[in-house]
Amino acid sequence: MCRGKAVVPAGLAKRGPAMNDRLLLGRSIETGSWVHKLDPRSKLIGMLLYVAAILLSRSWPAMALLAVFSVVVAVSTRIPLQYYLKAAKPLRYLMLFIFIVQLLTVKEGAALLTIGSFSLHEAGLRLGAFAVIRTFLLVAFTALLTFTTTPARLNQGLEGILSPLRFIGFSPGRFTLMVSLALRFIPTILDEVQIVLKAQASRGADLSELPFKEKGRMLVTLLVPVIAGAFRRAQDLVYSMEARGFRMDAPRSRYHRLRWGWADTFFIAMFIMLGIAAAIL
Amino acid sequence: MAIQLQQVSYTYSERSLWRQTALHGIDFELPQGTMVGIAGATGSGKSTLLQLLNGILRPTQGTVSVLDITLRAGEKAPKLLPLRRRVGLVFQFPEQQMFAETVEKDLCFGPLNFGMSPDEARERACRAMLDMGLDLALLERNPFRLSGGQMRKAAIASVLAADPEIVVLDEPTASLDPVSRKELIGLLTRLCRERGRTVIIVTHRMDELLPYADRWVILDQGRSVFQGSVRELAADPSLLTRCGLAVPDSLRYWRAVADRLGLEDEEPRLTPEGLAELIVSRESGSSGRVGEKGTGHE
Repeated sequence: MCRGKAVVPAGLAKRGPAMNDRLLLGRSIETGSWVHKLDPRSKLIGMLLYVAAILLSRSWPAMALLAVFSVVVAVSTRIPLQYYLKAAKPLRYLMLFIFIVQLLTVKEGAALLTIGSFSLHEAGLRLGAFAVIRTFLLVAFTALLTFTTTPARLNQGLEGILSPLRFIGFSPGRFTLMVSLALRFIPTILDEVQIVLKAQASRGADLSELPFKEKGRMLVTLLVPVIAGAFRRAQDLVYSMEARGFRMDAPRSRYHRLRWGWADTFFIAMFIMLGIAAAIL
Repeated sequence: MAIQLQQVSYTYSERSLWRQTALHGIDFELPQGTMVGIAGATGSGKSTLLQLLNGILRPTQGTVSVLDITLRAGEKAPKLLPLRRRVGLVFQFPEQQMFAETVEKDLCFGPLNFGMSPDEARERACRAMLDMGLDLALLERNPFRLSGGQMRKAAIASVLAADPEIVVLDEPTASLDPVSRKELIGLLTRLCRERGRTVIIVTHRMDELLPYADRWVILDQGRSVFQGSVRELAADPSLLTRCGLAVPDSLRYWRAVADRLGLEDEEPRLTPEGLAELIVSRESGSSGRVGEKGTGHE
């Protein structure tokens, strides 16, 4: 569907509307797979269990099991695997950094290389690799949640999971509204940045054509209009919600109901088993 | 030629699942010093087309040549600063165009970037404000505290302040009151006729531009379906209906009168005055046609 037949000038890919393409956060990709149809609550719990499984696995076989499991589940969503890779791509430098830090600081196991007082150890290499694999799997796989669930459904799931907390005076509705607005505003703010960049570029201040020092100055001057713009949009949002009769904590009916099915139980069970297996291996 | 487009296509988000082609193989040429109207239903690619003209968007296929600068798909773009100095683009929404803390700073932004001295920039800003009929007291205000109409005018002024050779405007008359709309079209016409600027206007109100535009480009779903003079457009206004546009009243009246009087090669009269004059002149010529006077206007 998206495989690179298209020829894009290198310059274009880095600028303009293309910038938002790299941001996969909060964008669902509808393919109608079984994972898409799951209850958002089970997916949320599944992801938490996955995080636990990652933290519990401390050996190569456990890593391999995690990797195979992740790929199988990711394939079953029928979303091209490269999208999962893309989701982890922004963290590549962080992963490299983690790897190097582990490699240089862990001084256990057999020394692989010694130069003067400096040495690299087997355990450092192993732990570094584990850390990278873990980070990668965590970020790439949990993208499944946002790929297969629309933000609205995700919110509903979160609200469902948090609803027991109502008894201690916590308002899940308020909390999830806050989260959804915050998430909603990420693309809005990026749009706002694009708008100001476009406006400035069209009047002779193209960020990509400025010398490095000027670039920094321009980015700072960007802050004020972007933040002002975000506040303006927030204000508009409040008005439009109130104009349509939204009241906080008022009882509301829902278009989608949360429904727990056998597939959801199976989904959760899969992750529990993964966690147990990862801990044992 | 001021502007030449060859087989230009533009696809948003080309390399992702959300790709969307806004323009398909557009070809056209616009001579220097003309006034051009661009019309099309919503979503027909008008704004995308305009943004190609000053390099804000680059074609994903084909070639865009503006003045002596050529943007070719797949090639590294040349420095765009000279292009932006010579082509001023007024965006569709003034709130997406103004970004500085005061109107004055916003108006001076372009001129300063294009290498003018601060004094010169300020003078240009003042002149542009006056041209747009805005009070100079507004210069100190925050652009977002202006009224909708004032903000629209200030946004246009911010582009005119840099005095570009080609002025491209995206629905400049939206949110303006009728008097300001007339004044703006008058100002743009003078820019074109007296100072030889090329003026390109996207509009949903074809009526107000019809008497002044030399050429029209009609877009339909990202394709250019008509390019030519008002005369050609007046010959077959049904084209507009096919593109999901309403036929402007002035064209309808002209068509009705022309069909009734059997006028073929006449220059279309698209103002009420022009039309009235024509009818009167025909009538004084042949008094037998008096009864038809009222029926020309349906």
